[in-house]
Amino acid sequence: MNLERVPNEEKLNLCRKYYLGGFAFLPFLWLVNVVWFFREAFVKPPYTEQQHIKTYVKRSALGLLLWVAALTTWITIFQHFRAQWGEVADYLSFTIPLGIP
Amino acid sequence: KLQLLSLNIMDGQPSLLLTCLHICPLPGVGCSSVQQKIYVQLNKTFPCVRLLNATHQIGCQSSVSGDTGVLHVLETETDLDWVLSSGPNPPYVVLMVAEHFNRSTMMKLKGSARVAGVAVVISKAGPAQGFSPHHSCPNQNSGVYSDSYGPELAGCNVTVWNPLGNSLSYEDFRFPIFSLHEGEEADVIRKCFLDHNRGVNGSDPAYPLCAMQLASHMYAVKDTATCMRRNDIQSRFSISPEFVCDALADYNVWSSLKPLNNSGKGHLDGESVVIAATRLDSRSFFWNEAPGGESAVGGFVTLLAAAQALRAVVEDHPPSQNILFTFFQGETFDYIGSSRMVYDMENGKFVIDLDNIHSLVEIGQVALHRNGQLWLHSDPVSRRNSSVRSELISNMKSTALNLSLSVAEPDVSQPLPPSSFQRFLRARPIPGVVLTDHMSAFSNRYYESLYDDAEYLNVSYPSGLSPEEQLEYVTDTAKTLAEVATLVARSLYKQAGGLDDHLSSINADPKIVTQMLYGFLVQSNNSWFRSLVSPDIVKNLVSAILFPASGPQPPQYYVGVPTSGDPVKMPTWLVQYVLANFTGTLRNLTQTQCKNPEDLEGESKDLYSYFWVQGPVPPNSTQGEGYCVRAPVRLVKAHSPAFELHQYSSRDYSTWTESRWKQIQARIFLVASRDLEMLTLGVGVAVLLVSLVVTYFINSKADLLFSSSRETTSTAY
Repeated sequence: MNLERVPNEEKLNLCRKYYLGGFAFLPFLWLVNVVWFFREAFVKPPYTEQQHIKTYVKRSALGLLLWVAALTTWITIFQHFRAQWGEVADYLSFTIPLGIP
Repeated sequence: KLQLLSLNIMDGQPSLLLTCLHICPLPGVGCSSVQQKIYVQLNKTFPCVRLLNATHQIGCQSSVSGDTGVLHVLETETDLDWVLSSGPNPPYVVLMVAEHFNRSTMMKLKGSARVAGVAVVISKAGPAQGFSPHHSCPNQNSGVYSDSYGPELAGCNVTVWNPLGNSLSYEDFRFPIFSLHEGEEADVIRKCFLDHNRGVNGSDPAYPLCAMQLASHMYAVKDTATCMRRNDIQSRFSISPEFVCDALADYNVWSSLKPLNNSGKGHLDGESVVIAATRLDSRSFFWNEAPGGESAVGGFVTLLAAAQALRAVVEDHPPSQNILFTFFQGETFDYIGSSRMVYDMENGKFVIDLDNIHSLVEIGQVALHRNGQLWLHSDPVSRRNSSVRSELISNMKSTALNLSLSVAEPDVSQPLPPSSFQRFLRARPIPGVVLTDHMSAFSNRYYESLYDDAEYLNVSYPSGLSPEEQLEYVTDTAKTLAEVATLVARSLYKQAGGLDDHLSSINADPKIVTQMLYGFLVQSNNSWFRSLVSPDIVKNLVSAILFPASGPQPPQYYVGVPTSGDPVKMPTWLVQYVLANFTGTLRNLTQTQCKNPEDLEGESKDLYSYFWVQGPVPPNSTQGEGYCVRAPVRLVKAHSPAFELHQYSSRDYSTWTESRWKQIQARIFLVASRDLEMLTLGVGVAVLLVSLVVTYFINSKADLLFSSSRETTSTAY
């Protein structure tokens, strides 16, 4: 879809859908939302729906950041302590590395 | 060698090799030849692999694609210094002859980060002072002696059975260790070292250097509980499960004088059985290299010969009690076979139970006795008031009087040597003895090592004999072992209630003993073995020979893990068939009838096993006649109860597992210096970039360059 050819109401509608969809533990929707609507929200000359789009993009970005922070922390902790946790870590793993604890 | 030199800039790293693929003239064909030009594969090598038990991992590990190091031959102390500190090109792969393969050297190498691997060149004869990489107190935690049973005897407090044992096999090395035999490949490696890795006039050696890469990446880690848990997770949740370890397991062989009904399990009323036991397995530091001469073969050949000797008498004058011959597998690894049989007896899963056992005679290491002196070991804790035991011992002593052997008891307070009997004693104070050639410490100077082979047992032949003649040649070892077998057979007969009148007609045949020693220690693929086993096993016997060119090959006695292509280990098959032929009777049945004899009158699969045997091959023929042998010989699982009970941290049962692996590989090649490697890579990248720029430029100016040039050339003419 080319955003240039879509009417402004449609843009807002789309942006809101992505924003709401992100709450279903889908941070990638927020990432897409931020990338796609960044120009619409902050670069384009002002139009009526822009204010709302701006809010959604900002909130999506915030949610995305929280997700990134949480995942990074968890992955670091998990990788660091995986060997130490032994049984628990094995059950938490999807692929178990071969030949190392 | 010239080819090696010309391509040395490519180094051994597979990733770097990719950057050089553009020199392949044809994809696939060309590249494999490049690989052949770079690497010299070493095929006749055996790795050290990782084994795990309830608490430890032992053995060796390499990185996924193998560990590479500059080759250095260890000959003197200076060489060790070179590897550990002074050499300028670490990491090193150390090539050593077997004399240096001892605990102090290996522990120094283990502690150094400058070692990438070790290759050990095995010579024919072992070091004169003896060598045993096993524990000095074998199976000390799985025997009968513990804090609750003879605490003063536990942990080899009284007798250290294997004083030469340095426990090297039970160390955990983080680098790969391979063995190779003295011969062509060892010479190629030495030449590569001499040509490239020795500096001129004492200077540091210059690149390119000869390097070795050893790959033996093991999947399992930490302990058996961890690897079994990972197996379990993989099999439940993974789409393509990748198992990491398997329990060491195989089969025990058992047979009885009078057939026992195999369909009935548990206690047999009115049955009293004398058990004659021995072990079938051995090990060494390296995977599947276990000649087990004195530690296993001597004992089970004696028992097989004794079973054969008894046959002549028992048909006409059967003793009042039954005799059960058992050959236990996996005893080296905390008594896998015997602990399983005792477990089955306790739980009513075997044809008899522990209450049916009258007494037990175990044949330990017997092939190295001096002047016919043998020793009878018994348990000082349970023997205090046992009349059966003293009867057993006096039987044996009196039987020995008529032979050129003497049998004595060691000091009263000495515990039993490591033996399967200990597992029976753990369950019940059964009277019994262990017959060995040592009073206290083992006579065996190469216990559970590579050198415990035919040569050590003096099974050698005059030069110039053909394989067929060697098979028939009666060695001195065979003569003395036949004496021991006669002693065992007569004592068993007497113990089982046979009459003294018939003792003199029980004699083990030295010729059969020598044939067995040849088959089990020198060459398993021989005409006699081929005539005794089924046609399928003959095929396995022939295909099991890995390197036909390098002379005769005996079976290896490492218990290993069962695989789909190899569900029962070759020694177990062989012992089963030899025993069936010795104790069974010929039945006039066709091959199909032999497979399914249930419907025939007088035949019973519950009482007997039926074996279709290839038979001797007539001189100008390729196929034997084939006949059917009926014998009460059976295989039962030798799989530790710990795995049945899912108690992977068990202290009562063996928990040994063997890691799985993908690739075992050893190869040598020449490496360039790091600088030259980087320069090559840099030049390669630069050429790539330049060519990209040039192509882009030419492409953008294509009209101008090509059309105009054609015009200009045409106008020039």
